[in-house]
Amino acid sequence: MLDLIIRNITNRKVRSALTICGIALGIFAVIVMGAMSENFNQTFERSMSVTSDKIRVFAESGVFGGGLTDDKVSDVLRVAGVKDAYGLLMTTFDEDKLGMTGKQILGMPPEKSSVALYPVDLKAGRFLNPGDSYQVVVGNNIKREYELEIGSKFEIHDKYFTVIGILEYTGSIFDNAVIIPLETAQDLYNVGDSLSYIFAVPDERVDAEMLSKRIELSVKGTSTLSPGELEVQARQSFMIFSVITISSGLLAAIIGGLCVMNTMLMSVAERTREFGILKAMGAETRDILLLTLGEASCMGLFGGVLGIIVGVGAVFVMNTWLASTRIVLFLITPRLIVIAMLFALLIGALSGLYPAYRASKMSPMEALKHA
Amino acid sequence: MREEKKKNKEGKEREEGKEREEGANKNGAKKEKPEIILRVENLSRTYIRGKIPVHALRCACLTVRKGELLAIMGPSGSGKSTLLALIGTLETASGGKAFLDGTDLTTVPEKLLPRLRREKIGFIFQHYNLIPTLTALENVELAMRFSGVPKKERVQRAKALLEELRLEDRLHHKPTELSGGEQQRVSIARALANRPALILADEPTGEVDTKTRDSIVRVFRELSEKGQTIIVVTHDPAVAKECSRVLQIVDGMISDED
Repeated sequence: MLDLIIRNITNRKVRSALTICGIALGIFAVIVMGAMSENFNQTFERSMSVTSDKIRVFAESGVFGGGLTDDKVSDVLRVAGVKDAYGLLMTTFDEDKLGMTGKQILGMPPEKSSVALYPVDLKAGRFLNPGDSYQVVVGNNIKREYELEIGSKFEIHDKYFTVIGILEYTGSIFDNAVIIPLETAQDLYNVGDSLSYIFAVPDERVDAEMLSKRIELSVKGTSTLSPGELEVQARQSFMIFSVITISSGLLAAIIGGLCVMNTMLMSVAERTREFGILKAMGAETRDILLLTLGEASCMGLFGGVLGIIVGVGAVFVMNTWLASTRIVLFLITPRLIVIAMLFALLIGALSGLYPAYRASKMSPMEALKHA
Repeated sequence: MREEKKKNKEGKEREEGKEREEGANKNGAKKEKPEIILRVENLSRTYIRGKIPVHALRCACLTVRKGELLAIMGPSGSGKSTLLALIGTLETASGGKAFLDGTDLTTVPEKLLPRLRREKIGFIFQHYNLIPTLTALENVELAMRFSGVPKKERVQRAKALLEELRLEDRLHHKPTELSGGEQQRVSIARALANRPALILADEPTGEVDTKTRDSIVRVFRELSEKGQTIIVVTHDPAVAKECSRVLQIVDGMISDED
């Protein structure tokens, strides 16, 4: 039967090729959009794994509202159940680019740098130590972009810092992090003893959600984000992003599916007489269904394979091109390939269902009379 | 209507008389007649066009024996093709019965009709109705696919049939590369592919020249001599003349001229 299916497809070369291109275009969109979503998904998962055990304490007015200072760290530390707490100052590295590159300055107490960054490991050098001031630990993307080595000089806000540590690649926000001592960061950006937020590490066997509420009640002028809340919030944002990206890909694929349905309906109408002949020869309804559905599914399959090849190629080209700007925007995963392939097959088969049903239900005599 | 019934009654009596005669022959020393392969009893087909019933076939009765080459003649719209479609189970009868090889075609569930067509009936059409994208060999082979014949056997049998019909040098030609006569011979081979009990040919020489017509009729005669039962619907007296028996159909009513 497969040979008949392939022959029917190849006998209408132009029409089949256009239909396959329609599907391929849809699957291409699924791959590109999906790769973007997968990249964000991975960054999110990895970032979450780094910060998932900590409670974030903000000023009530928010990260950019000010009001959170060094003295709040000791207030947080005094709350029962808090094992450790330290403040962080976070600001964009390239202010002229409005932070669009995702590079961030993280000012943190030197003695806490290894704890704050756990489980991110060092690729080279060491973490910040007490007494460090114009020393910097950089993420992997920063190292690559500025071609930094241990001992290299690195300019931040018109000051030169010595690179003392390079982080392993993590696929998280820490790849674009520039980590300097907190006091140096506060001086550099002239913010006094202000902090962006405080990380509070809960004691073992202490419920982080409960502790989070307790901190809010105990330390005036603060609000908190527990690991659970952070995850929910981040997942919601990620979900919205995923829905937007994936649905635009799906829309394109559905248009591809309509292409298949149109082609199959035309093909069934043209071959009405042929179906009559097959029925007269004793073809079962399932044979006709299989023939028509198989054709649509095969076009879905070919379109899927083509769409995946072109999509993966385009993602590779775009990632290579974006590599010069150190932005990683797309990630192809086996899961994405499998989903795209199944989707192509499903679209093909679903689009072929109605034409196949029409073909199989034809009365042989009526079909034979068809001009 | 009364006249019609009378005619049918007479027809039936004539058939019964023949069978009685056959029975007598069987018991006696005379040459034994071949078995009856098809018996049609009061078969009718009425269409409703708008609200008006159109009687395409009225109480047709006929009997066909194994190896017979039967011609059904009649003017256009007389019901010849309808009769063939009913015997071929391509259409459903409004009344009456038709027994093919002992099976009542009018009571076979729709689900089982494809199998019955595959195993017992071969069709030959006026417009050949070959699948244009397949070669002659593949067209013949296709008929056996649905019967589940293994590929090797399919090809062997299709080749043998096409060779028998003198198309050995046309095996890999598509229908558009064949002449009308060649196409019709391919369709004859296709009809024979599943070794059916009965071949139904609807105006098989309608689109060919006289020379090709004669060659097709010759093929039918050869097949008939080998024991293949064939019913040919035709307009052409020259074709009918070559058949072993001719039946006339007029206004949906059939009468035996044998």
